[in-house]
Amino acid sequence: MDHTPAAGTSVRRKEDARLLTGRGRFVSDLALPRMRHVAFVRSPVAHGRITGIDTAEALEVEGVSAVFTGEHPAIGPVALRAQSALPGYVETDQPPLARGKVRFAGEAVAAVVADDRYLAEDGAEAVVVDYEPLTPTVCAWAEPTDPVHDPVHEQAPDNLLLSRTFRAGDVDAALAGAHVVVDRELTTNRHGGNPIECRAGVARYEAADRKLTFLSGTQVPWIVRTQLAELLDLPEGNIRVIAPDVGGGFGVKAVLYPEDVALCLMAMAMPGTALKWVEDRVEHLLAATHARDHRYVLRAGFAADGELLAVQADVWCNAGAYSVYPWTAGIEPLMAGGLLTGPYKLADYRCTVRGVATNTSPSGPYRGVARPSTVFAMEALMDSGARALAMDPIALRRRNLILPADIPYRMPSRLVDDSGAYEACLDQAIATFDLERWRAEQTRRRVEGGRPLGIGVGLYNELTGLGRAASAGPRMAFRTGHDACTVRINPDGAVTVFSGVTSQGQGLETTMAQVVADALGVAYEAVEVRIGDTDQSLWGFGAFSSRQAVIGGGAAHLAGEHVRGKALALAAALREAPVEDLDLRGGQVYMAGQEKPIISLAEVAKVAYLQSDRLPEGFEPGLEGTKFYDPIRGAFAAGAQIAALEFDPATGEIGILDWVCVEDAGRIVHPVIVDGQIAGSIAQGIGGAMYEHLVYDDAGNLATGTLLDYLMPTAGEIPELRIGHVSTPAANPTGVRGVGEGGTLAPNAVVAGALADALGVEIDDLPVTPARVWELMHP
Amino acid sequence: MKITLTVNGERHRLDVEPRRTLADALREDLGLTGTHLGCEHGVCGACTVVVDGEPVRACLMFAVQADDAAVATVEGLAGGADGDGTLHPLQEAFSRCHGLQCGACTPGMLMTAAHLLDTEPDPDRATIRAEMSGNICRCTGYTGIVDAVADAAARRARGLRARETS
Ligand code: FES
Ligand code: FES
Repeated sequence: MDHTPAAGTSVRRKEDARLLTGRGRFVSDLALPRMRHVAFVRSPVAHGRITGIDTAEALEVEGVSAVFTGEHPAIGPVALRAQSALPGYVETDQPPLARGKVRFAGEAVAAVVADDRYLAEDGAEAVVVDYEPLTPTVCAWAEPTDPVHDPVHEQAPDNLLLSRTFRAGDVDAALAGAHVVVDRELTTNRHGGNPIECRAGVARYEAADRKLTFLSGTQVPWIVRTQLAELLDLPEGNIRVIAPDVGGGFGVKAVLYPEDVALCLMAMAMPGTALKWVEDRVEHLLAATHARDHRYVLRAGFAADGELLAVQADVWCNAGAYSVYPWTAGIEPLMAGGLLTGPYKLADYRCTVRGVATNTSPSGPYRGVARPSTVFAMEALMDSGARALAMDPIALRRRNLILPADIPYRMPSRLVDDSGAYEACLDQAIATFDLERWRAEQTRRRVEGGRPLGIGVGLYNELTGLGRAASAGPRMAFRTGHDACTVRINPDGAVTVFSGVTSQGQGLETTMAQVVADALGVAYEAVEVRIGDTDQSLWGFGAFSSRQAVIGGGAAHLAGEHVRGKALALAAALREAPVEDLDLRGGQVYMAGQEKPIISLAEVAKVAYLQSDRLPEGFEPGLEGTKFYDPIRGAFAAGAQIAALEFDPATGEIGILDWVCVEDAGRIVHPVIVDGQIAGSIAQGIGGAMYEHLVYDDAGNLATGTLLDYLMPTAGEIPELRIGHVSTPAANPTGVRGVGEGGTLAPNAVVAGALADALGVEIDDLPVTPARVWELMHP
Repeated sequence: MKITLTVNGERHRLDVEPRRTLADALREDLGLTGTHLGCEHGVCGACTVVVDGEPVRACLMFAVQADDAAVATVEGLAGGADGDGTLHPLQEAFSRCHGLQCGACTPGMLMTAAHLLDTEPDPDRATIRAEMSGNICRCTGYTGIVDAVADAAARRARGLRARETS
């Protein structure tokens, strides 16, 4: 039997059989014996001192067994603290349940444990909390003339948790020498990940052996375990974190939340009782992390031929009420400053970014982290530059792209770009889109009448698979460059993989199985993959920064190769054949020049585990191996999106007529999964550009607290997407580039750019809604 | 309150509080956790089940309202005529066309699509998009879902034609 590689083909996903038949294993579905349910009491005020909490009545409610507050001895001494060695970063505490004061509407103040969720909610309603209001801060860029009355954290009297200036070259001189200088002031709209399964956790503590099991829909089980060990004062090995099937993550679940810590602390206070908390959507909108609430004040200088000479930027990111663990309030501002210049060459750059605390839900990682905003900002500068120079906007972009000849290119923020495929993506996107045809249609409509049509374009780089030299996160206490993978051949010759990756829908069981099958030389069907359990796999940092295909995949490949070497060595010794002449394909060992296999992997495994009498000299029993992989740097993934949109003057309605995306995802392991990642992320990007907006009033109340006000796009709003690839293999074991986030990066720029192009205006604020379009068309 | 409901052909007697939703009765009391909850306020469609032939949002219906009703959930989709576990053509198509990623929206999508194909044998893509627009998917960008429903519909139409001509 010959071996067909699994990678590069769209094999049937390992996950599908259970997910399609309603047999998924989600935390929300778990039922353990004598399990009790938790409901949180959440603050109705944005900022206020807690003057009293009365739990007496709640404890009388039928079925309620306990009520915890921030002052409870089990909770009181503990606080999350996101750390960073960044100079000037102000460290602040986040209590599991509010202590002393509340800092945003929705913050958990107390928790009620009861026999079922209905009774827990009855109990929560009976908890009486008194607040003495403090002045809330909602906007992160209030005028400096407004003094901060009541800072969110006393450690940061001006509410500034972090600020940093990125500098390269001499911006003032470059601007002075520029042929044209353009200015833009932009804001982007707060929105969030909103996976269909909200957050969920089940915690159970066994006092006799001090063991805690925490089942959680987390994207980062090992990070969670490490931090829980510290907070709960338990040996790390006594904590088992399991992320089973998880119903979407998108970054929102890459945070260790106060509710998670509270749940574990309560479980420890109630040993032997499993406690379950399943967040509802209203809680999710209120208290899971938000993102993208930014302001950009920009100035750029261009030479007469269109060369981008200088960018000066001031950026404010609304960090919300807490610096999220582990990413800190720096997650968005530092990404904004580091990646603002995107795929464009630039020498002279100055960018000051700030993370500002406000009385709103904390900001955290959301697919694309800051770059949907920065790509919008950068493309707005390009469009303004083109207008000022009377140049074609696409020609101006081309003039400045990082090209293959420039690679490796050191960006002004000192990140090293290894891609250079931007122009290839752009060319293919333009050809697929048929730009000339759409330009002709645009002109036709201008002459003959019809809905105004605009063309928007967004070029971007996705920084993926970050190794230790460019590790994700702002100088945190750990470096996220590596993952581990164990490949085990079982006594029957089948393969079990224990991978450190986690999956929230990305199909990582499938991808890891493909990689291992090929590296080892067995059929895809012979490989089973275990993920998301800290007691099963050795190590993985988890799902963020589009890292797992690169890093987890790299580890899987190396481990597969390593075990292949072991199996072949044993086969060679058993058959007295030279190992260099042997090959493992489809689970059979072949000798060069012979058609029939000389031994099967199953036979080799049987000897390794069960027949030590047959084990040759120098071989230990067992057949498995573990490898770590760290790409040291990272792999940039290039992308280009271009779309045609029309705008209805009567209603402001926005119609997407065509949308093309071309990405360089490197070598592709599973084509359909890769396209699914791209399509899904474009849809989320379109949601953020046109529909999704978390709005606070001046008092800090969330005005968009249900899915009736917070609009996520459906099949009716998302257009047919045309996705293409240029595939330049990256320098890592599998040649892949990350693909999880890129799609989200362009839609802001594309939608705003198309509207600007259609109406000849500048779009400074997002989202682009029909109401906004209507206003612009009826000035 | 005591109620009787038939779920995927099996009769169950339950004693439920009047405020208990059908979704919670299915998930918690009957252990049928295939029906998912994404919002609990009637918008996302994850909880869609078919009650007496009509798709309903199980988060908006009280269990007592389903007294004496026949409920179809995702757990009953597969199984073929003789209960051998064969996947429903829609389940096959969702897998083939990558109509699911995390699987959280999938049960609701499948039940909505099953009802669509029962009532509209040959829908075009625009119809599929319109009919499926009461269900939110946060992962797929809908391409794979529309592909899957269109594929299942086309295969069924082909099968029907083949049967007619034979
Ligand atoms: S859970 Fe029922 S519609 Fe969302
Ligand atoms: S597959 Fe995840 S929400 Fe649809």
